[in-house]
Amino acid sequence: MHKRVRSLVSLYLCFQAAQITLKAQEFKLLDRTVQVHGFVSQGFVYSNDNNWLTMNTSQGSGAFTDFALNMSSQVTEKLRVGAQGYDRNLGQLGQYHPSLDWAVADYRFKSWFGIRGGKVKTTFGLYNDTQDEDFLRTFALLPQSVYPTDLRDATIAHLGADIYGKISLTHRLGVLSYTAYAGHRSDSIYSGYPYYLSSFGAEIKSFGGLQYGGDLRWNTPVKGLQIGVSRLNEHITGKGSAINPFAPGAGLVPYSESSKADWTNQFYGEYTVGKFRIDSEYRRYWRNQELFSGTSESFADIRGWYVSGAYRICKRLQIGSYYSRYTISNIVAGALSAFYPPATNTNLPANHDYDKVITGRVDLNRFWNLKVEGHFMNGYGSGPYPNGFYTQVNPSGFAPNTNALVLKTSLNF
Amino acid sequence: MKNHKLFSLVAVVVIFAPVRVIAADVKVIANGSMKADMISANEVKSVFLEESNSLSDGTHVEPVLEKDGPVHEAFLHEYLAAGTNDDLQSYYRALVFSGRGSMPKQLGSDAEVVAYVARTKGAIGYVSAETGVEDVKTLTILREGNGAQRRLVTRVEPDYPDTLKRLNIGGTVRLQVSIGPKGNVDTVEVLGGNPILGESAAAAVKQWVYTASRSRTIAELSIPFDSHH
Repeated sequence: MHKRVRSLVSLYLCFQAAQITLKAQEFKLLDRTVQVHGFVSQGFVYSNDNNWLTMNTSQGSGAFTDFALNMSSQVTEKLRVGAQGYDRNLGQLGQYHPSLDWAVADYRFKSWFGIRGGKVKTTFGLYNDTQDEDFLRTFALLPQSVYPTDLRDATIAHLGADIYGKISLTHRLGVLSYTAYAGHRSDSIYSGYPYYLSSFGAEIKSFGGLQYGGDLRWNTPVKGLQIGVSRLNEHITGKGSAINPFAPGAGLVPYSESSKADWTNQFYGEYTVGKFRIDSEYRRYWRNQELFSGTSESFADIRGWYVSGAYRICKRLQIGSYYSRYTISNIVAGALSAFYPPATNTNLPANHDYDKVITGRVDLNRFWNLKVEGHFMNGYGSGPYPNGFYTQVNPSGFAPNTNALVLKTSLNF
Repeated sequence: MKNHKLFSLVAVVVIFAPVRVIAADVKVIANGSMKADMISANEVKSVFLEESNSLSDGTHVEPVLEKDGPVHEAFLHEYLAAGTNDDLQSYYRALVFSGRGSMPKQLGSDAEVVAYVARTKGAIGYVSAETGVEDVKTLTILREGNGAQRRLVTRVEPDYPDTLKRLNIGGTVRLQVSIGPKGNVDTVEVLGGNPILGESAAAAVKQWVYTASRSRTIAELSIPFDSHH
């Protein structure tokens, strides 16, 4: 017991020391101020029955780490540049392969018009571009129906350009913010979808393609109320090799899949009044793909929504809860249809995931927080597009319900 | 006799001093190189939330905040509607970690803010209304309405009674003004602040002239009276 207390005290002192050394966040370069910021988070998940998020959670898993470091500078009155490196390990995903999270040159002509180019975080819904920043929200995990952390690569950033701005409406009608973008998405081969495909013997070498879309949000005249809509279109191609489904013993054959129609719509709103905040979002993802060079076709209709509420009890303590609902409906046509019967009944646990969540967050200081979160899930929505539950880490099949305890701490400077 | 008059004046000031003084506690200051004497409350919000880094006249600005304390809280409440300081810090961190902005300069006291604003071109900050602000400009804040779209052509400075100045009685006066289509200030109503200073400010503002517009404009102004200046 004494040993455990000593360990906790040591951990606390380490974090405090880290903060003292990390407070120097600026330096001068060519007479310009360069800011340096970073974060690190560590989680632990324990679940009954199913293993979740590619971790061995039924035994308790701490393979839930991510960290980032960024530098940015205002080069001229209108031009700002910066970049952030990001790395993570989430069970079988990430595996500590670092990536360039964003690297942008941002030129703001006016408040109503600016351009940013490079690798840009995608503005989509309330939290897409800030989903890694655990310290910004009450919850340890965002609602997985709308922000699946295992599929982070699908929407997180694009290599391309955005135009953006804010327009104050006359007659005190609030403020409209817009973003329009186009670019190239490139998924890590250590992300969720390639891992999912590996359960069918596929080895993905590349996965990505064109993304374009926009976001429009309205800060309404009602104080604290914001509503918005996002749209994303994609033309994605995945290439690699796979076991021939018609002759499994014949070895690997070339595998490819490409989008015929791939779009996502998201509608959202948030309302803040005093210490209380309520959010709600709805996302629909339509995915029509050609598989195995067009010999088969897959139609997936994925829908998710959530309602969340969070309350700050005092400066150091917040509580929150959300209900998150995910459904997937899928039909496969062509040669592969013999292997994949239509899965359109979203009442089945295999085709949904309903998650009830409660959370407590303690801010030990301005830079360091701890979270405790309980998830009570019905369903495991396991395919043909993943949503947290994977057969590779659940080889004996899935139980219909999963309860999970998530502990998470994060530090930022 | 002189003492009696002074006592009466102080008594009037005390009796009529506004009970709710949060709104009058903060004044917005800017580096002396800034062209504008007056900016709108919306511009203040936009600059401090990093939605804009220039004013409507094109002047580049750089916000500087206080780390915490009552002046900072009053500024948040009055200008940013950003909830708590924690909410504001989260807002800035969201910008920083998504590549959309930088962490603004945050200093520990009024004196540090004044010194930084005085030496930094384009800097704009806020301090307690009672703080002496040598070498910086105190901005008049146009609070509401569509007055921000109307440029001030003629400005008459209000009288600051010597007695009040000597007694360090100052602060910010809030006025509601009605500007006619031709640009004249037709009516002025004192909304808050010291009543004597309010009267003085109203008398001056009545002589202000704005650019012409197709319709009448109703706007709110904050006029600072700095006893240390």
